[in-house]
Amino acid sequence: MKTIRAIALLSVGVTALAVTAPTMAQDQVILRLLPYHTDAMVENYNPNNPTGPQQRMRDFAYEPLWIDNIWHPGENEEALAVGWEIGEDLKSITYKLREGVKWSDGEDFNADDVVFSFEYAKAHPDYPMGIDVYNGETGNVVSAEKIDELTVKFNLNEPDALARYGLNGLYPLPEHVWSGVDDPKNYANLEVVATGPWTKPANFSRNGHDLCRNELSRYNDENAIDCLRFPQMNGNEQTVAALSAGDLDWLGDGLTDPDVTFLPQSEFNNYWLPAGSDVNLQLNTTKAPFDNLEFRKAMTVAIDRQTLLDISTFGLTTATKFPIGTGEMYNTWYDEAALEPYKALMEYNPEEAIAILDAAGFVDADGDGWRDNPDGSPIAFGISMPSGWTDWVNTGQTVAENLQDIGVNASLKTVDQGAWFDAVPRGDFDVYVMWTNGGPTPYNQYSPMFNPRLMVEGQIDFQAMHQMQIPEVEAALDVFKGSADEATQKAALTDIHKAVAENLPVISLFANPIWYEYSTRRFSGWVTEDDQKFRPQVHDGTRERVWHALALKPIDGAEF
Amino acid sequence: MIFLARRLAFYFAAFFLAITFNFLIPRLMPGDPSDRIIASFQGRLNESQVAAIRQSYGLEGSLWEQYLTYVGSVFRLDFGISTVQFPEPTASLLFYGATWTLVLVGLAIALAFTIGSIMGIHAAWNRGGFFDSFFTPINVMMNAFTPAIVALVLFYAFSLQLRWFPLGRAHDPNLMAAFNFQFIGSVLYHATLPVLSIFLVSFGGWHLGMRNVMINLLNDDFVILARAKGLSDNRVKYRYVARNAILPQITSLALSVGYMLGGALVTEQVFNYPGLGKFTFTAIGSRDYSFIQGQLLLLTTAVLVANLLSDIANVILDPRLRKG
Repeated sequence: MKTIRAIALLSVGVTALAVTAPTMAQDQVILRLLPYHTDAMVENYNPNNPTGPQQRMRDFAYEPLWIDNIWHPGENEEALAVGWEIGEDLKSITYKLREGVKWSDGEDFNADDVVFSFEYAKAHPDYPMGIDVYNGETGNVVSAEKIDELTVKFNLNEPDALARYGLNGLYPLPEHVWSGVDDPKNYANLEVVATGPWTKPANFSRNGHDLCRNELSRYNDENAIDCLRFPQMNGNEQTVAALSAGDLDWLGDGLTDPDVTFLPQSEFNNYWLPAGSDVNLQLNTTKAPFDNLEFRKAMTVAIDRQTLLDISTFGLTTATKFPIGTGEMYNTWYDEAALEPYKALMEYNPEEAIAILDAAGFVDADGDGWRDNPDGSPIAFGISMPSGWTDWVNTGQTVAENLQDIGVNASLKTVDQGAWFDAVPRGDFDVYVMWTNGGPTPYNQYSPMFNPRLMVEGQIDFQAMHQMQIPEVEAALDVFKGSADEATQKAALTDIHKAVAENLPVISLFANPIWYEYSTRRFSGWVTEDDQKFRPQVHDGTRERVWHALALKPIDGAEF
Repeated sequence: MIFLARRLAFYFAAFFLAITFNFLIPRLMPGDPSDRIIASFQGRLNESQVAAIRQSYGLEGSLWEQYLTYVGSVFRLDFGISTVQFPEPTASLLFYGATWTLVLVGLAIALAFTIGSIMGIHAAWNRGGFFDSFFTPINVMMNAFTPAIVALVLFYAFSLQLRWFPLGRAHDPNLMAAFNFQFIGSVLYHATLPVLSIFLVSFGGWHLGMRNVMINLLNDDFVILARAKGLSDNRVKYRYVARNAILPQITSLALSVGYMLGGALVTEQVFNYPGLGKFTFTAIGSRDYSFIQGQLLLLTTAVLVANLLSDIANVILDPRLRKG
């Protein structure tokens, strides 16, 4: 008993000691945000290092040329550039740069930095900065030319009205610093020189670091936040608890049932989940029975999408209206009247599915209780899912049950995440649940989906897994890319939509949520459902996130 | 001496076999380290970029060439570069994780072994008494809980609801590592719940093991003789019975000390404790070969060294082994 008493005394003593430890005095306004999960913070501030530093340094410290305002295209998008112009022949694009911008070490930002950054990206293919810049898909940019101190012209290989969307996301580097860096991939960039509102790393430890105000930033009049704090965290238990306790203000985690697991934890907790990119079933149409259009039609009407929305994905996803592989995120691009005839393909109708299969000859030939191919060979396939991706596993399960209801022997097949990724390039799969690529226009989604180069065995892309080549879609994509005129682009897109709805290369399911959680404990000015000023995510890839941080103002009396 | 020499030869062979498996097992998993990086660009890379990234993150040469390079680097103690935290040296992450794992699991094992063994001795000595019939079943029951449940319950009750203990981390992030009262206090405070969650599910095992061996020994002739000589109860209990009963316990202790460097994945995950288990889990998920290899090497070495130490300890504690 003596031992137990001694231990009890010891732990009480230790606890008292820790509780009385003084906390550091803080009069700075600090925004705590978590753009990514990690087990240990690494002292690396390289804006193009995709293992973490990029999440902290882009947008906040390093600015892009242009911020595509995805929700309000054309509004207030200037960043380091203040204007752009596409050449008459669509073979060039010229950016007008902002005047008077200084790097945080006092040097002027000018056209030389932009040209340098382009050449630098080209010279270091293992260092993917401004990733679309010289990508064969969207860019085909051959050179960058300095016209004057504040004007840069990019020359293209062939006419391309969309090249600017790739170039907009170039984060220029200061030539006077990076021209001396020979191996950028391994460069830790400890002396940050950038133009954004927060450029000074501080208080680094394995537990996190701060990024403090750039005294030379043009945002200082409106910027109420002295430092951003990036804590090290991993796991949803931790992040939810931290946000509830005031150790985090801004988060973008995928949460299960947030009304139960998240909202009640603190009166300041809030979330909003706008519609993001669509999720589709990718069918391997090189195989029977998926090569049969009637079978694909039966599949799409056999799926109970309301159950997918409400139960499988916990009510966090958004319905998709038309069988076109994209959804609400691009709703300003739909021609609803033209797509109306295809709406029935999205409605749950198992009787119709059975009728389609019967008519097309998919009947039970060998008497085992499951339907077979018209040639008599049996049908049995798995819907592959990485184990642990709960909402998608549920989705696969529901779809498999829906198909079993109409006599199709489909089953859920969960595999290790690595194996799941690995099987795609080789074409070794039947059915996958798959995300779609987002981007400033629907072109970014359909282009990889229908690019024949991405359907070659050994290099099959996640988006092109269906491997169905549709010439009219490819032609319409060329029209879209070859015109800067919005009406022409919309007409081309309607052609694409109709071709997808008629051929069903993918089966549309629902739109994934955009994950966004925040605390109103210290700051006001958050994006809400009533104030949809811009996309609210905290993650890299949402260039609007710098506006979000700048819009936040400390609440009176809040403790930092 | 021959006994120890024979053991040493065995350990060397085991070590070589183990590092070969350390090399092969990560490579048998589908995918490679560059896949995650490339997938994160969602198809926006062109072919030359993909090739350049594969070359810089992946490994060059045939499997056999990679193996030779690897064996060479093992003996040079060069652990390579982590791809999850590129371009951080794996050694520095391993060292960081191992430090905290030693604090966490070391404290838990030390407490569980001491308290469990003492309780086992008491239970065996007074077998059938109140202490034995009350604590033995309870401790066995505790031993049957999984760490996941205990950790989550403790986290929910004491960190989330009552807020007596911090939500995670190894120490207050505002403090810099130093050998002073404040820092050590903060480390102990943060370690309390994680240590408790491991302790609660493991001390019952020590209790039960000690009790069983003790009970077997209590009826042996030397114990009866010792009592007949009129030795005090405490002397018989500790110097005669417990000293003999501890031998198999030492072997199990050596094993758990060795496995300690495997980390305590669930506990570390729940309490955001920066130990090896958490790092290794992430490393496996993203095929960080150099980290997995480094961690497996550390684990292999620790298990082998701990076994060797237990052999030596047994020789010291048990005179019968000295003649070999």
